[in-house]
Amino acid sequence: MLPVEVAVLKKADVASFVGMLTKDYKVFGPTKKENQFAFGPIDSAADLSLDYTTTILPPKKYFHQPVETMMSFKSGDVTSEGAKLDGKQLLFGVHPCDVNAILLLDKVYRDKYEDPYYADKRDNTVIVAMNCTEVGQNCFCSSFNTGPGLDEGYDLLLTDLGDKYLVQAGSAAGKDLVAKAGLGSAAAEDLVAKDKVLRAAQNKIGKKVDTENLAEILNANFNHPKWQEVKDSCLACGTCTTVCPTCYCFSVADKVDLTLVSGERPRVWDSCLLKEFAEVALGHNFRKERDARFKQRFYHKLSYFESQFGAPGCVGCGRCVTFCVKNIDIVAIANEIASGAEETKPSVVLSKKAPGECKGNPYKPLKAVIKGIKQQTYDTTTYTMSFVDDKVQQEYKYDPGTFNMITLFGIGEAPISISSCADEKGTFDHTIRAVGNVTKALTQYKVGDVVGVRGPYGIGWPVEEMKGKNVLLIAGGIGLAPLRPVINHIKNRRSEYGKFEILYGAKTPNDMLFTDEFDTLRIIPDTNLLLTTDNPGGVKWEHNVGVVTTLFEKMKSVPENTIMVTCGPDIMMKFVVKGLLAKGWAPEQIYVSLERRMNCGIKKCGKCQIGPLFCCQDGPVFNYGEIQGLPEEIF
Amino acid sequence: MAKPRIAVFKFSSCAGCQLEIVNLENALLDVLGAIDVAYFVMASRDMEEGPYDIGFVEGAVTSPHEIERIKEVRKNCKILVAMGTCACTGGLPSIKNWTSQREMEARVYTELWAINSTTAYGIDHYVPVDVYLRGCPIDLNELVDLVKAALLGVAPPFRPHAICVECKLKENACVMLQGKPCMGPVTAGGCGALCPSHNKGCEGCRGPNNDTNAASLAKTFAEMGLSKADVVRKFRKYAGNTPQFNEGAEAL
Repeated sequence: MLPVEVAVLKKADVASFVGMLTKDYKVFGPTKKENQFAFGPIDSAADLSLDYTTTILPPKKYFHQPVETMMSFKSGDVTSEGAKLDGKQLLFGVHPCDVNAILLLDKVYRDKYEDPYYADKRDNTVIVAMNCTEVGQNCFCSSFNTGPGLDEGYDLLLTDLGDKYLVQAGSAAGKDLVAKAGLGSAAAEDLVAKDKVLRAAQNKIGKKVDTENLAEILNANFNHPKWQEVKDSCLACGTCTTVCPTCYCFSVADKVDLTLVSGERPRVWDSCLLKEFAEVALGHNFRKERDARFKQRFYHKLSYFESQFGAPGCVGCGRCVTFCVKNIDIVAIANEIASGAEETKPSVVLSKKAPGECKGNPYKPLKAVIKGIKQQTYDTTTYTMSFVDDKVQQEYKYDPGTFNMITLFGIGEAPISISSCADEKGTFDHTIRAVGNVTKALTQYKVGDVVGVRGPYGIGWPVEEMKGKNVLLIAGGIGLAPLRPVINHIKNRRSEYGKFEILYGAKTPNDMLFTDEFDTLRIIPDTNLLLTTDNPGGVKWEHNVGVVTTLFEKMKSVPENTIMVTCGPDIMMKFVVKGLLAKGWAPEQIYVSLERRMNCGIKKCGKCQIGPLFCCQDGPVFNYGEIQGLPEEIF
Repeated sequence: MAKPRIAVFKFSSCAGCQLEIVNLENALLDVLGAIDVAYFVMASRDMEEGPYDIGFVEGAVTSPHEIERIKEVRKNCKILVAMGTCACTGGLPSIKNWTSQREMEARVYTELWAINSTTAYGIDHYVPVDVYLRGCPIDLNELVDLVKAALLGVAPPFRPHAICVECKLKENACVMLQGKPCMGPVTAGGCGALCPSHNKGCEGCRGPNNDTNAASLAKTFAEMGLSKADVVRKFRKYAGNTPQFNEGAEAL
């Protein structure tokens, strides 16, 4: 029999059709769970509840599992890179909203750093979708054109026509299934009937959000009074994100067995609603307040996702409304904010994309050996490292200001900026302050010990744009580490840059890094180094006392033909930027390096987002002029 | 850390958490390979003197004698673990705290002259605590995780957020949406959403999560038909001493 594009499946034949599918595939479909539904294993058609409205978790769980082992390790060696899908799986009865959500997740997970775990399951899964002829009270797919009818993303598409299903094949695998089942061809009136039931379904949808200019309207209403109401009501329980079909954030934490040297590195779905989500070492939290976290989810769906991936991040499945015990309704909130709103604000778009490419599993660290250890301060140490594989080391190139993910298997992984200049071949440096699990554990490491390293990631300092210009470099405390490559880069190419001025501040003289290099800085031609400490303590101190901005009175730099680069504590950068703007510097002359929590470095874990930007790949170095319009607070 | 010396102390409690440790069975043998149990009345005949590397304290502090004893325990332990709800927040013994001391004592004892009880508190009311091992009883996976974290010298990987996260990861049908009150949205996770996984509402035994909006949940309980007294009991069953759950008890 020839494969046919459009066929019919009599309802009386569904049981045998599903029976056929279970022979070749692990089949999953909607099943009843108390008064709710969940996708689960299907042994026969009797297990299916095809009259379901929505499931608790979306079918994304079959591609991006709630808990998934990324790799196993033993004594620092990766012993396996997660389990491949055993055979092929088939999802039966997936609604259009959920199929469209999977197409959005493809954009997230299948970019230049393709997620191998997602890709494996995606490539080995057949989707039998089912158009919606009935709608739930919280469905609003029609607002995003993601339902009730489906246009793409399916292998087979079923539409309920009463006593039969219209079956449309959307792929070779789908056509094969139609042929194998020997389904009869559809008649022209079946297609007419399909249109009719979908129109009827569309008319039943009671919820609607006006998406025209929605992102721009929301951007302009970031401080709307509605958010206080949401803050009072929201439980920040994380349900809305966990049930969302387009949420993809995860966290990574190693689990060791009792040998303490072997174990697994799993990833677990995470939620931006949770308080610890945006917390970094030493306890600073970029979204401490509940409303800030709720807004992160809301804006990510309705504004940021479109800037990031070219489509709205919501498919209107209604789960976040249905499963919220407080009945918080993003549609009602969006409509309330949009009604009567006149002001709009464009989303932030950046001019640069991070370089970098991926060979193989982007999460797998490579072995690097510690070649040298140098104590900088009582809590900060510089580790000089080199990849164990010579070829990797020779090919390893990085821009000043970029970072690596450092792995200590069993302890975890942490993003650490590179503190050496790429001119130094053969090794690279990380200057690390012992404040978190990984950085504290690293203090026990000795020369010759091996760690895991992957990178480099991100966009670094604008050393090309700086050519021919004067440079003002302002660092605070540990913030000098990612700026040291800039200093050495300029030192090695002194004639290519104009006047060079360095302002460095730390809490006390004992907190200053690279003090033994200060003398070599002073002899770089046409270079001015100004030092300050908040509190000299009992140490002999001949320089300025006060926060770094007090050096503004003494510095020689003027805005004309100058670029300023800064890194330090957020509060310092905030006042540095504020102070320079007040002195007539333009936002476009200012570059800042931002810190956020990161679990991947490759735009997957979602932790480091600042509005629509990913700190890991759109930064960590940003042009202040480009990001000053972000709805979220930067510092 | 080299093989750490462990001690287990009992205060006012049912001994259920200690029993959980004994219930570790197979895992216990592995854990025992990694630790040195120096003081554990329930499980061992040999009692060794302190100091100890890790002290596990079970039970609330409810008498002047216990107040003095917990201070001694603190001095003897490098890492002090509040083990179980009673030690963490006062737990079930703390339900007496909202009735007058004498009235409560009279309900239980006849020889009142011999009774000298104090308000029931978690041990951190009197001494600093390093780690909280939550739950009534404690979760064995968390106990093993804690021992491993101590051996590695890292922070234990405990979930600080609401039970709802684990509940949803398991794809349980939400009990609240079935009309049953559940403390999950305000209670710290780590138990694997044990009660909701059996289709029962969470009782809040693990105490408040890291961003508790108890007043909001109390309002929802009232909308579901719970009386004010019921709502108060929900929030005072295990952790009424905490400001977070107290806010829920006083919300209506």
